[in-house]
Amino acid sequence: MNMPHDPKRDEPLERALDAALARALVAPELPAGFRQQLRAAAARSGGADRAQLRAAAEREHAVQLADMRSGFVRLRQRTLGTLVGAAFAAGLLLNFALPWIKTHYGETGVFALPAIGAAVGLALSLRAWWQRSSLVHLLP
Amino acid sequence: MQQSALSEAGQRDRDIVELLQGGRHEAAFERLAERYERKVYRLCCSIMRDPDQAADAAQESLLRVWKALASYDQRASLSTWIYTITRNRCLTAIDRRRELDSMSDPAVEQAAEAVGAAAGAGAGSPEAARDHLELLRELVEALPEHYRRTLTLFYYEDRSVSEVASMLGQPEGTIKTHLHRARALLLERVRGLGLGDAKLWLEEAT
Repeated sequence: MNMPHDPKRDEPLERALDAALARALVAPELPAGFRQQLRAAAARSGGADRAQLRAAAEREHAVQLADMRSGFVRLRQRTLGTLVGAAFAAGLLLNFALPWIKTHYGETGVFALPAIGAAVGLALSLRAWWQRSSLVHLLP
Repeated sequence: MQQSALSEAGQRDRDIVELLQGGRHEAAFERLAERYERKVYRLCCSIMRDPDQAADAAQESLLRVWKALASYDQRASLSTWIYTITRNRCLTAIDRRRELDSMSDPAVEQAAEAVGAAAGAGAGSPEAARDHLELLRELVEALPEHYRRTLTLFYYEDRSVSEVASMLGQPEGTIKTHLHRARALLLERVRGLGLGDAKLWLEEAT
């Protein structure tokens, strides 16, 4: 441990004091029976058992959380897959249906049938909206 | 040399952590106690001053370590974790005790007078030697708390700044500054007591 240079420094005194400090401040020895007392206290507390249970519970919780997260991702992937599949299936169906509609209902059928479908869908959604809204309760 | 000591210490810590990871908590604690009980006790001594209270604090600290051992997550090194628990335990005990030594401790003044008289009578006598070391301890005790703690631990730990820094949870630069100021204060007080002659502090004299 060097001290910065100082003209007033008294190096022999510093060195002598350092040596005297090393003799004066001797590391204390552990009290007799320290380890035995510690072992006995640790055995009484049973701390590790509780801590082990806690650690096990935490690990289990972490595994469950990871499972839930991966399940959520799988669910989203499945929904997306269903939507993509349904869109392709609808396109395929339309490919076969359009020539058939043209031959049986003429050119107007191509517009009329989807228009009827859209009207039915709109009616169903309006009905659902009406039932869910509070307006229905105001009617006698 | 110091590097190999550090790597050896690191290896011993890794062995303890491996035992923990294998779920062998009791074996891990046994090794941990063997490796750290002296250091924990010295740290407690440097903070608490009183050896009996330090022993109690060391026991309680290691017991806390035991209870928390299974939840040790390796975010901090094992030694840092143990020393943090120990310091917190000691500081809580000190808060409870509410005892802070005054800078102008009457015991120090009495000891200084005794040594001053002994220095005049003959520095080489065994009584004077004992008195010199006793006075030095008293002077260290009278230092401001953070200087006293650092200086004491520095000599307990064979003058290892890095070890003291790790035990007190402070940067090495701070430890060096504290040591420098503590020694400067000691020198000033030693000279103030008329004991500025290096011969008075040499081993042959003491």
